[in-house]
Amino acid sequence: MRVIVPIKQILDPAGFTVHRRLERVFINQENYIINPNDKNALETALRLKDAHGAEVIALSLGESRVDDALREALAMGADQAFLLTGEAFAEADAAVAALILGQAIEKIGDYDLILTGQRALDTGASQIGPRLAEYLGLPQALGVRAVSGLDNGKLRAKRNWKEGYAEVEVGLPALLSIAPQANAPRYPHGARIMNAYREWEVTTWDLADLGLTEEELSPLIGLKRKAFPPERTLGELITGAPDEAARELAQLLKEIQ
Amino acid sequence: MDLEYWELLTGEAIEEEEEEVTYRDIWVVAEAEDGALTPTSLEMVGKAREMATALGAYVQAVLLGEDLEGLAQELIQRGADSVYLADDPRLAEYHLETYAQVLSDLFQEQKPEIILFGATELGQELTPRLAQRLGIGLLSDCLDLSIDEIERVLVAKHPVYGGEYFHVSNFLGAKPQIATVRPGAFRLPFADEYRTGEVEQVAVDLEGVEGKVKVLSVSVEEAQPEVPLPKARVIVAGGRGVGDAEGFALVEELAESLGGQAAGSRGAMDEGWIEEERLVGLGGATVKPDLYIACGIPGDVHHYFAMQESKFVVAINKDPNAPIFKIADVGIVGDPKEVIPPLLAELRAL
Repeated sequence: MRVIVPIKQILDPAGFTVHRRLERVFINQENYIINPNDKNALETALRLKDAHGAEVIALSLGESRVDDALREALAMGADQAFLLTGEAFAEADAAVAALILGQAIEKIGDYDLILTGQRALDTGASQIGPRLAEYLGLPQALGVRAVSGLDNGKLRAKRNWKEGYAEVEVGLPALLSIAPQANAPRYPHGARIMNAYREWEVTTWDLADLGLTEEELSPLIGLKRKAFPPERTLGELITGAPDEAARELAQLLKEIQ
Repeated sequence: MDLEYWELLTGEAIEEEEEEVTYRDIWVVAEAEDGALTPTSLEMVGKAREMATALGAYVQAVLLGEDLEGLAQELIQRGADSVYLADDPRLAEYHLETYAQVLSDLFQEQKPEIILFGATELGQELTPRLAQRLGIGLLSDCLDLSIDEIERVLVAKHPVYGGEYFHVSNFLGAKPQIATVRPGAFRLPFADEYRTGEVEQVAVDLEGVEGKVKVLSVSVEEAQPEVPLPKARVIVAGGRGVGDAEGFALVEELAESLGGQAAGSRGAMDEGWIEEERLVGLGGATVKPDLYIACGIPGDVHHYFAMQESKFVVAINKDPNAPIFKIADVGIVGDPKEVIPPLLAELRAL
């Protein structure tokens, strides 16, 4: 069984602060992390590896720094990693990213399952999974919180649905997007982290390797500007002894409720 | 100038321009639940009406399902010019494959300029697939929409990094332009009982198309916590700064006395005081209660992302420099274990 997990590297929100009054984002430390929700997809794949001996392939799209995200995926337990990189990929929007990832997945081939995170923290979008499913002609289940069964080329999953969840059955190959609450992603062992850099390889594919041309990669969405919510500031600081402060707060809570 | 005359004058034939496809009108994909239109459907119709004026376009609503006849009039009263009903027993139950087929056939025939969906389960399932199928762009979870009248393109504001700030993005020309709209982002439009409009039937052709995902059962969430955190009106959350399990018990007591839900930060979960379903922050719930009381939570960025939409924030913390104070409406510098007991007594006395 082959499971492919596309992951996204994003700017770590802990490394920047948003100044609402100045309407600017200040980057204090330019750290990049794997989109947290994509790690849930990776963890789901690795549990299928533990239970059923699945082969787990991670792939990602972007600049050369994305290599780190893929090494982290290898350290967590992925068997292979592919970096899809090239200047033309830098401006990729969801449609372009789906095309590039879709081409790469077809090139890898012979897959049973594609797992993605449900939502990207940086853009808030949840497009890549279903766009990929459409591109590859696969059925999909979104917001999966548990894979509950796997036999005879059929997979059972619990997916979030309206006020609760639905138990669904889907034939493989299929695409699942994994909900953030599905699992707690594992931490890689130190030795595996070293191996990920020293021993194991990340295969790099560029535009030509994927049989794509630059004309195919023109974006459909552009960023006009950033906008900021109204500033949140400290309203009032109640000082004094705990008893007095508590009394004042109790009055206030009564007023607003 | 008359083209034939121009040809006579210059001796050159003007190439006839290729007939350009015209994309027109704003389409709203409405949803019904338990036999009634969802508020989001009507909110979208209202916003579409506003934008239609800027574009000189009509508002068309489309509804898929079975026995929909009775719902068309309300869409018209709220601002739709026509309502298209795909009324078919095979659409009674939602399946991605059938719904996507009917909608992509309809949109390929009708060529809308803009298509709006609610950012609901249905919208999140269908829109990326339709966008990919039609080779067009999509903006999800939009909080505001407008028309760039010079370029004649849709502009949308959507949250990034969990709403920490927003991107205002525009479509770059390919049509139709699809957006999903956050429920509650727009006001419910006035229902004008005298408004009239057309009701059309959509020809449903599902030859060879069937749902590929079998739904075995649907369950409503087992109530744990009783009110799911994202819907709670009052949340009292504790972090490491409450000291110990006893301190956290005070947090729970305060939550109970305010008729709210107890929750915790990552620190509280690491200490084993809460399970994951009561976590506010990365990997847990994003909440927006009317009242959020943070006890002993310094308030890192992940916590902030998850609770920043709370209407009124109270912070109780020993460290006066804790980041939580920067965003609290009311702050008390003090040990939660010393502040909560008298607070409980005061609340009982009131």
